[in-house]
Amino acid sequence: MKLSTYNFLTSMAIKGVKVGYPLKLTINKKDVIESEFNPVFIERLLPKLDWSAVYSAAQVAELADDIPAAQPDNVAEDEQLLQRLHHLLFEIDVLEGQLECPETGRVFPITDGIPNMLLNEDEV
Amino acid sequence: METPHTEHLSSADYEHVYEPAEDSFLLLDALEADLEFLDTLQPCLCLEIGSGSGVIITALAKRLANTAHCLATDINPKACEATKRTAIRNEARVDSLRCNLTEAVRRRCIDLLLFNPPYVVTSDEELQTQQLTEHPATERNLVFSWAGGTDGRRVTDILLEQLDDILSPSGVLYLLLLQENKPDEIIEQLRRQKFEAVKYMERRIPGEHLYILKVKRLTNQKLTLSLACYWFGS
Repeated sequence: MKLSTYNFLTSMAIKGVKVGYPLKLTINKKDVIESEFNPVFIERLLPKLDWSAVYSAAQVAELADDIPAAQPDNVAEDEQLLQRLHHLLFEIDVLEGQLECPETGRVFPITDGIPNMLLNEDEV
Repeated sequence: METPHTEHLSSADYEHVYEPAEDSFLLLDALEADLEFLDTLQPCLCLEIGSGSGVIITALAKRLANTAHCLATDINPKACEATKRTAIRNEARVDSLRCNLTEAVRRRCIDLLLFNPPYVVTSDEELQTQQLTEHPATERNLVFSWAGGTDGRRVTDILLEQLDDILSPSGVLYLLLLQENKPDEIIEQLRRQKFEAVKYMERRIPGEHLYILKVKRLTNQKLTLSLACYWFGS
């Protein structure tokens, strides 16, 4: 699971959960897979991203020094930051770990890079 | 668009995962035919529901390469694995995720949504007596890939009800349907939900008449027109 995916995941579907975001991420095993950097795409993706979840992903991935805690105004002009965002969001691959619902504590395991977010019938 | 390599999947995989067939290829052909539109749409986040073997989302991810983020969901763990393997085999960037429809994804984020649903008309009992198992035995989980209940629309109808919460403001859905799923009824239902749906492509194969429905939000202007037609028509 790439950390870009993490930014879009929520446990909102659980019965009684109001926001379910951001999920609490734990990484037990990760890989780094190089992929081609496209600054224009990262820039277009920015409005869709939740910066607080970008930052928390950076903290968990031990890349917090690369990413400011609050979104700067001029990200599009900062090629270096776009490159760092690309690395964080598209090159870090979480192989083993878990995601935890911030409201209920329900844990979703990540196994072989695939998060299991399937809920039981009595949870929805 | 290149047809992805699938030789890494064997008949043993297809005991648990839907094997690409005419319906899958029709959806691929529709995307290929609409590439010019997709280039204008510039989708940031693409998602395929029920990705199965992963051929469709892989072909798309390969074409969009580093201009989009592609996600695949499936309830069947074997399908999630197969999708991941297909993406890796074809050097495409796809993240595989086990969940029901788009349940685990934030609201109104998806710019391009693909769904080849379980569309075969079956009795609802057929689905109810089935239980998705952790260790899928032959056909036990595969039934969920094709059995569609009454009108073959049990799952499709659930998705369409949620569509407003799923698609981004400019989001588009390509949905595969069978004549028996009553596409005209679906188009009408979507219009009431303020979506514009057209039969983008159709194909007759032995025993099946397949359609690709292309669905997007009605623009304000079209919405006014459509409401006017509805008003004067009733």
